[in-house]
Amino acid sequence: MMSESAPPTQTAPEGTPDARVRAPWQRVLRICVAAFLLWLLLFAPTLQHNAQVSPVGTRRTVALDLLGPIAATSRALQLSHLVSWTDEATGRTGNQPGNGVLSTLGPGHRHGGHPGKPHPGGQPSGTPTTVAPHGSGAPDITHPTAANPLRVLIVGDSLGIDMGGPLQNDLANTGVVQATLDARESTGLTRPDYFNWPAELQSDLGTARPQVVVIMMGANDPQDFPGPPDVPFTSPQWNVMYAARVAAFMKLAQSSGTTVIWVGMPPMQNAALSAKMSDVDAVDQQQAALCKPPVDFISSWTLLGTAQGAYAPFITNAAGQVINVRTPDGIHLTPAGGEVLSQTVLNYLRGPLHFQLP
Amino acid sequence: MLFPTFDFAIFFAVAFTANWLLNPYPVPWKLSMLALSYVFYGWVGWGYCLLLLSTTAIALVGGNAVVRSTTEKRRRLAMALSCAGLLGLLGWFKYYGFVSVNLDNLTHVLGLGRAVPLLQVALPIAISFYTFMALSYVIDIYRRHLSPARPLDLALYLSFFPHLLAGPIVRGNELLPQLRHRRDPTAVDYSRALWLILAGLFKKVVISSYVSSAIVVPVFTAPAQHSALESIFAAWGYGVQIYCDFSGYTDIAIGLALLLGIRFPVNFDAPYTARTLQDFWRRWHITLSRWLRDYLYIPLGGSSGSEARTVRNIMLTMVLGGLWHGAAWTFVFWGGSPGGGRGGGHLRRRRRVRRGLPAVAEGPVRIWMQRFWTFQFVCLGWVFFNATGLSDAFAVLGRVASGWERPSPLVTPLLVLVVIGTVVSQLVPPDAVERLQATFSRQRSAVQVGVLALILLGITTFGPVGVAPFIYYRF
Repeated sequence: MMSESAPPTQTAPEGTPDARVRAPWQRVLRICVAAFLLWLLLFAPTLQHNAQVSPVGTRRTVALDLLGPIAATSRALQLSHLVSWTDEATGRTGNQPGNGVLSTLGPGHRHGGHPGKPHPGGQPSGTPTTVAPHGSGAPDITHPTAANPLRVLIVGDSLGIDMGGPLQNDLANTGVVQATLDARESTGLTRPDYFNWPAELQSDLGTARPQVVVIMMGANDPQDFPGPPDVPFTSPQWNVMYAARVAAFMKLAQSSGTTVIWVGMPPMQNAALSAKMSDVDAVDQQQAALCKPPVDFISSWTLLGTAQGAYAPFITNAAGQVINVRTPDGIHLTPAGGEVLSQTVLNYLRGPLHFQLP
Repeated sequence: MLFPTFDFAIFFAVAFTANWLLNPYPVPWKLSMLALSYVFYGWVGWGYCLLLLSTTAIALVGGNAVVRSTTEKRRRLAMALSCAGLLGLLGWFKYYGFVSVNLDNLTHVLGLGRAVPLLQVALPIAISFYTFMALSYVIDIYRRHLSPARPLDLALYLSFFPHLLAGPIVRGNELLPQLRHRRDPTAVDYSRALWLILAGLFKKVVISSYVSSAIVVPVFTAPAQHSALESIFAAWGYGVQIYCDFSGYTDIAIGLALLLGIRFPVNFDAPYTARTLQDFWRRWHITLSRWLRDYLYIPLGGSSGSEARTVRNIMLTMVLGGLWHGAAWTFVFWGGSPGGGRGGGHLRRRRRVRRGLPAVAEGPVRIWMQRFWTFQFVCLGWVFFNATGLSDAFAVLGRVASGWERPSPLVTPLLVLVVIGTVVSQLVPPDAVERLQATFSRQRSAVQVGVLALILLGITTFGPVGVAPFIYYRF
């Protein structure tokens, strides 16, 4: 009654003989499994490293237990050299966190090397360059011009990307700011073994020579510090360790007389995560106040939430327009949400910090 | 579950083994594939499985109702109600937020109160793909092109994991017959399947990731800070990125299905070798283009009416095709711009015929110029596709006119090589790839294992740690 055409072929083009040899499925399975195991042996040391820097938990433990002997065999047989030789030949020094990596650097400010490369062992590299502070005889940085632009560095995690993108663009649109954005998904200050932000910032300070640093990070920080022994997020010791890291990071950002602005985390849709963000924000705000000179802390809690500080996917702007500021995951910012923070930072630069920006 | 992950590798090893072990037993085979497909989908979010189940139920009930209806009027009503149900689900999840915010702002301007409640609805992954498959299933039954499938067959047709997340959009008459017949366990077309999987992984993990981070993301994030040349390469680069991302995904999907003994239709056919926009849409996301042609453009009247009607039909189809990708004005513009281009091309060709002018002489220069300008027009559309808003798209395009005084440090020799190389690689004749696959298939197992392991090593070594989700997962 009804026509059901034969399935279309997607093998050989018409007119060409199909010369491929087919095989029984058992042979295909054997070939694929053997190829996978050989690849595993060759790549095990890199996989082991990736497992080491993953979040603390059962998955990490199991992965490390499984990969340990394979990686040891790979090293003993010198097989791991294949990857390291390739990395050396191509100028890479190891795999970088790549899940949506954003590394946008201002034109002419990077000089070779992979942007945003973590520095193994946590040893910062690069030479910090002193930037003339206010009133030192150098051009007045509060009155930037196209010839003497204000240099701004924006760093952060994925929310830092959400805010940093619009901010970098808005700053560039002034025509008197050279903005550099270096923000990485899934990073923070808890896991320098995964991504070493102090080393990265040190490097950025040397290459971008910023006069203002804008930081927005913390979304990935509510997690255990890996040990041994592991330090759980909920323990009092965690707060002490985290506060020390935040303080050191702020001091590093200020080390060249740079003005530092820290943008706090907004409330999250998930109540438990929101509470964790509130804890992280409290530490950040406290450390900002303790810094000498104090770091400028901008809270995004009510900017992107309700007046009571609750999560809000939509807010009404000054013009009375409703805007969607959060993505459906209840965590990240939409471009409009990023723009809200960007405008807040811009107004802060123009207002309390007295930068003359068009 | 993402294809290029350890989780999926383990999942597929189980699925492959179960597929062939249960191959002689149709019902257990279908049940196992169905269960595995729901596990695959549930890995993203278990709640989404209920939505997939609801879509399946609507298509099942709708298809059966169409067949059981005794009059043409009732058949049409049953089909229309089923389509409305399916589109209602899609509309709620995909377009409610966009419509409600725009409506709210309109009522604000008019001084009226809130028209509809503002809700943030999470977009379930893959909903656009399986909704279109369900729609084609019901409409094909209505058109008497397809018999209603058994519930188990239909459920598996809609959820079969290789195509589930981002296509290809497989028709009922392409997949359902294959689910009813046993596959030959002694003749797996593995050399083609493995080629597709590895080529797809290479395109996604190495090329797409590199171009994205090297030029596309920096320029689209802050257009004002980049030069004209960087903006041009960002537009071309996004053309390369989205091709490698999406065609990479479908290559992997087709390859995985082939390892299970199932054939999917091709979804890409060297799209950047197209000489016209019409040609491009015959080569790009082929399964969506033919869906729009068969279920939208032709029912609207196609090119059978007046010139104005034909252009209107092309525009409507392209704009709705744009909106299928997402609820944003950029997608409307993205769909509308090639729609306008295609409509213009259509009018030009018709006028030429009407005036009795001879066909334009074909030559290599003309062919290359056509390819070049088609690629430029397509990349112009990609700028809108990738931009977060119309103003951002115009900012990128504006830099092409105004940013010639700035240096272009992001346009490196490697980037130029990758962008141009990827576009030019589409000129490689298919029989050359065919010969390569045939040569591989005749090698000894040990050689094949070594080659596969080294290619995999190359992909994982040159790719970043952790791969961003496929672009079309958003749709």
